[in-house]
Amino acid sequence: MALLTLDNVSVAYDNQYILKNFHLNIEKGQLISLLGPSGCGKTTTLRLIAGFLEAKDGRFLFDGKDYTRVPVNKRNFGFVFQSYALFPHLSVFDNVAFGLRLRKVDETEVKKRVQQILDVVSLGGFEKRFPKELSGGQRQRVAIARALVIQPDLLLFDEPLSNLDANLRINMRVEIRRIQQELGITTVYVSHDQEECFSISDQVAIMNKGIIEQLDDPATIFKYPKTEFIARFIGFTNFIDFAERTEQDGEIGLRVGDHHFVASKNPGTANPAGKKCAMRPDDLLVTTEEVVDQNMNQLKGSVKVSTFLGRSYQYVVETELGDFTVNQEMETPYKTGQKVNLLFPKDKMVLVD
Amino acid sequence: MKKKGLYLLLLPGVLFLTLFMVIPIVLTIASTFYQEGSFTLQGYFQFLTDKYFMKILLTTLQVSIVTTIACILLGFPAAYYISKLGPRKKGILLALAIFPLLTSSVVRSFSWMIILGKKGLLNSSLLSMGLIDKPLEILYTPTAMMIGLIHLFLPLIIITLVGVMENIDPDLIKAAESLGASKFTAFRKVIVPLSVPGLIIGSILVFVGSLTAYTTPALLGGKQRVISTFLYQNAITLNDWYMASVIATIMIVITFVVIYVMNKLATKLNPKG
Repeated sequence: MALLTLDNVSVAYDNQYILKNFHLNIEKGQLISLLGPSGCGKTTTLRLIAGFLEAKDGRFLFDGKDYTRVPVNKRNFGFVFQSYALFPHLSVFDNVAFGLRLRKVDETEVKKRVQQILDVVSLGGFEKRFPKELSGGQRQRVAIARALVIQPDLLLFDEPLSNLDANLRINMRVEIRRIQQELGITTVYVSHDQEECFSISDQVAIMNKGIIEQLDDPATIFKYPKTEFIARFIGFTNFIDFAERTEQDGEIGLRVGDHHFVASKNPGTANPAGKKCAMRPDDLLVTTEEVVDQNMNQLKGSVKVSTFLGRSYQYVVETELGDFTVNQEMETPYKTGQKVNLLFPKDKMVLVD
Repeated sequence: MKKKGLYLLLLPGVLFLTLFMVIPIVLTIASTFYQEGSFTLQGYFQFLTDKYFMKILLTTLQVSIVTTIACILLGFPAAYYISKLGPRKKGILLALAIFPLLTSSVVRSFSWMIILGKKGLLNSSLLSMGLIDKPLEILYTPTAMMIGLIHLFLPLIIITLVGVMENIDPDLIKAAESLGASKFTAFRKVIVPLSVPGLIIGSILVFVGSLTAYTTPALLGGKQRVISTFLYQNAITLNDWYMASVIATIMIVITFVVIYVMNKLATKLNPKG
């Protein structure tokens, strides 16, 4: 059974629904991230789980118990804020000890556990410092230590790395993943940074307009997005809207106007309603030669724009089915206006809603 | 322009303050140590050994301290509430809070006389409700002074506290709650210590204001003297400028001692605030 269940939950401000009939299950020990553009409801979901917000209706179950009306301070969840939210008037030690002292833990035990957790986040020796005297990365590690030391049943991250610079972000996300796996603690992580979510998560939930459009492991989402929104979000820029879809010889036949395409069967084409084809710019090929290849769909067009990207060239190819973007590594680029053949590998075509 | 030239901009202000404040204060203080051409501490001895003088000093301190504490207790929750509001409501409530400062203290004190007097609003309503048998003696007591001063100075502490509380990150409360603190504990362990700077400044303003207030204690205190009305009496009624200067010096000393103690307290309560 799932450790955490949001069952048919709705959240509204001034009669505007942020979340409507929302469902989410999270398994014990997993790191799941909520990813999406701003306003998609990911932070609302996190704050709902934390207890900072109350659901208008629906239920929140945790470990088999109804947590819907349990106040924040009785939930025993650790929360790491984007702004770190360290207590500026307390030293690192007192910040981390805050939760333990509220739990009336014996002071020698407090000392032991604070030392231990500060070692985990590599901040031993910083006990007497104040938040003002720490760098951004150090502050974030204090915030993580403070959330972890209470041995929370669930750890929640709200865009914890977005105030850090690029290098530090990469270090910190590796660190977060290491700590999370070391302690085996169930974690919900909110970010709008794709790479961040994909690199640290067991499962990624991509959200849009208050619903989860897809919940899968990162590799699956990356290869087989289920909806056009997700496809666009993770870098599929080419789309063909087909009129008809037929099953044929273990493959899928697609037609729009006079153009017939074939896609191979894979998890990305399994959606029986999927008639919109999505492709990454890296998966298409451009050639000037006539090609006879069973594994390729072909479309004639001409080069509209050619851009040098450093390692490869990017072409925008104009066709009867619209413009397509292609990235291709090559020595000498095609010229603008040149007639080309656009190749669509059968197995790279993904059908989305 | 050279940086040195910029200091010239300070000159008019400095000159004005030196001429009309620093020199008179120094002369006043110096004059208390000289009588008939020789150094003396006689005025201070006289003040500190006279029971009547000491009683006035104690009443003044008592009134100022109680006023300050009452302003803190009344102002703190109000300031916290106001700091949590949206900008529009905040503006309205702050304007209302500042309102007492906009009326003249004479008018305000007369209103309190009407309310607190023997046949005043308070006594007549309490009598008619049968809560008391005979009118309460409030007017012309230290209590009346305190009421008037609290009314006068509450806005000061609210304004300074709102300024400090507004800048407390609301995530800090959430963080405290997520660590297991109830709303009240979070308030006590996070908001209160972080408000200390505002609290100290507000308290100094209220305390010094109460210590030196003249109109309110003069009108609401009746025969009950405080140090500022006593000073006035010495200077104007008794024409004893020497004693008036001694009293003024003692007020200045008290003010500095209070500011010093409060600042010490601030660094102790909030080392990194």
